[in-house]
Amino acid sequence: MSIASDLIRGHTDTIILAKLMGGDNYGYEINKSIQQKTQGKYELKEATLYTAFRRLEQAGCISSYWGDEQTGARRRYYSITQLGRDTYNSLIGDWRTAKEMIEKLIELEEK
Amino acid sequence: MENKLRKYVDDLFEGTPPTRKAVELKEEMIQNLEDKYKDLIAEGKTPEAAFNIAVAGIGDVSTLLKEIETSAVSEPDQAALQKSAMFTAVAVTGYILSVLPWILFGTFGGRGAGTIGFVITLLMIAGSTGLLIYNAMTKPRYHKESDTMVEEFREWQAETHDRRALRRAISTALWSIIVALYFIISFWTFAWHITWIIFILGAAIESIINIFFSKKK
Repeated sequence: MSIASDLIRGHTDTIILAKLMGGDNYGYEINKSIQQKTQGKYELKEATLYTAFRRLEQAGCISSYWGDEQTGARRRYYSITQLGRDTYNSLIGDWRTAKEMIEKLIELEEK
Repeated sequence: MENKLRKYVDDLFEGTPPTRKAVELKEEMIQNLEDKYKDLIAEGKTPEAAFNIAVAGIGDVSTLLKEIETSAVSEPDQAALQKSAMFTAVAVTGYILSVLPWILFGTFGGRGAGTIGFVITLLMIAGSTGLLIYNAMTKPRYHKESDTMVEEFREWQAETHDRRALRRAISTALWSIIVALYFIISFWTFAWHITWIIFILGAAIESIINIFFSKKK
């Protein structure tokens, strides 16, 4: 679990951008969807999540705004920018290339 | 129990200056924790278990908080401040010395020399005023050092202060010129009974300048 976490952590930005490609969202909902998609095997620490939000916002990949829920709870929503979309596309390309190479490099060759 | 979550996050943020970024992050964290807590309760967890799970999911925030704390502190430009002080000094000297040509030319020169002296005096006042106005407009303004509300207030204060300084400079120059004009025209024409009108005209001009300033705001 911890080794897998380390492998995934390097792709936090891509995971968040991928989620935001599907529409604006807020912290807990993003983390919940990560948990659900991995059947509870992976969950980002909130500190990691917020750090990634700050980093992505500073880089201009995402922007944030405060929602105006009627129930009193004010959530901070994030939405992806055009630069964010471009970044996502390039990151996913990088990942596919890397995945192919790593697979070739670490799998044992069948004789 | 939700108050307990708020209290927990409050404790996490203890020692972090309440900048706008920090306050926003805190609100965001509390909101997300409360959502998570409610979901856990809905899943049938006890309040204690839900609280512990929610809090355990926060992770290590020390790096994050440090990041928020450190913001670029911009030193005021010392060279620019010195230049500004020099401009003011030169302008004030100009004001003080500006009466000299008028007096000297008037005392030691002929009738025509008095006029030349007066023109030089006016030019010196104009030059000094120009310097003061230029100085007020180019003086380094207060830049935000960090993203706090206090800093925003200071920036606002610096802005209004700059405007006031510029306005005062213009007002000073205006009234010096008006007084000079009053004496010159009065001595020239000896129409003392009517020349006081100049002061009323001066007040009118100042009002117009004030209107111009408040419009620009």
